[in-house]
Amino acid sequence: MHVYEVFRQEAEGESMRHVGNVDAPDDELALQYAREVYSRRGEATRLWVVPRAAIVEIVDPDFLRPPLDHGYRMGEAYRVTVMKRRQITGKEASRDA
Amino acid sequence: MTDEQRIEEFKRAVQAGHKVEAGDWMPEEYRARLTKFIEMHANSELMGALPERDWILRAPTLQRKLAVTAKIQDEVGHAQLLYRLVEDLGKPREQIFQDLISGKTKFHNVFHYPTKSWGDVGIIAWLVDAAAIHSQSALQRSSYAPYARTMRRICWEEAFHLKHGEDIVLTCMMGTARQKRLMQEALERWWEPLMMFHGPPAPPETDKDLEWGIKSRPNEQLRQDFLTKYVRRIQEIGLTIPDPKLRYDERTGRWAYTEPDWSKLYTIVTGNGPASQARLGFRRLSYEETAWVRQVVTGGAQLTA
Repeated sequence: MHVYEVFRQEAEGESMRHVGNVDAPDDELALQYAREVYSRRGEATRLWVVPRAAIVEIVDPDFLRPPLDHGYRMGEAYRVTVMKRRQITGKEASRDA
Repeated sequence: MTDEQRIEEFKRAVQAGHKVEAGDWMPEEYRARLTKFIEMHANSELMGALPERDWILRAPTLQRKLAVTAKIQDEVGHAQLLYRLVEDLGKPREQIFQDLISGKTKFHNVFHYPTKSWGDVGIIAWLVDAAAIHSQSALQRSSYAPYARTMRRICWEEAFHLKHGEDIVLTCMMGTARQKRLMQEALERWWEPLMMFHGPPAPPETDKDLEWGIKSRPNEQLRQDFLTKYVRRIQEIGLTIPDPKLRYDERTGRWAYTEPDWSKLYTIVTGNGPASQARLGFRRLSYEETAWVRQVVTGGAQLTA
């Protein structure tokens, strides 16, 4: 028996979301069990079963969330751009002052 | 860092809201408590299918028969989800079943009683499932994330069961005097087990499962929540709750009730309830009768491997 992780798409166009896992001897039964356990009420438009052994994981915060300032990647850093537009056009100048 | 420091750090982290995943390091005590807690929950889902199973053939209409069957399938499905969690914590399924049928591990008190009438089916699906939703909703905040996520799915399905049960009860309460009596008698049979359902009111500071964040709400608080939500709903449809001491105390903001006999709860969950041995006997029989299925499934795996 192998553990298969189960992913479910709940409506066309949506992403596949992890919903849990099943224990099965092969791919075909894994799909049968996944349907029985995770889509009894027609919750899925698509199911994936993936052998757990095939999943490669990383949970290292130093790697995933390095303690560096990446502000230039976020919208917050571009507030100044709005100010520049106001300076050029003169609109709302009094409020900015 | 010593082991003790590591354990203390883990405990502080879960108390501050850190969520633990299946593959993460965890202290042995946490793993052991989690295994015991979830295994008991899983056993209860599986054994909980049996009292209602008796009513598939006796359900009054085809619609009810289908609904009861679907509920039973859901309960067994919940057991499947929960047994997977227990397996991931390190206990093999074979061992889980052996421990259940030999009486070594426990299941919930309410599944140790017989179902005497169709009234019981309605009261169980409505009120036992309502009591269960209160504890299971609180478990959505468990520090063990796979359990918390499983609770979201289970609560979603339990909500249908509750409606199914309420519909059975209301239908009878709109019926003849005999049908109303059927419901009243069922409520009288189930009130004491319901009041025991959330367990003795242990002081929260001594409850280790709370300390580790395995559960998030104390037993007595769950019972109070249940009473706040359901006492009025039960009374306003013409049913009488069989507890003369039951009343809401405005001063303390709490429900007063007749204290259940907690030693009786212990006697029941250790396999001495009115239906305990019959249920375990049935589970043992069905485990033996389905041995060939397990052999075919796992044997097939060996052939293709």
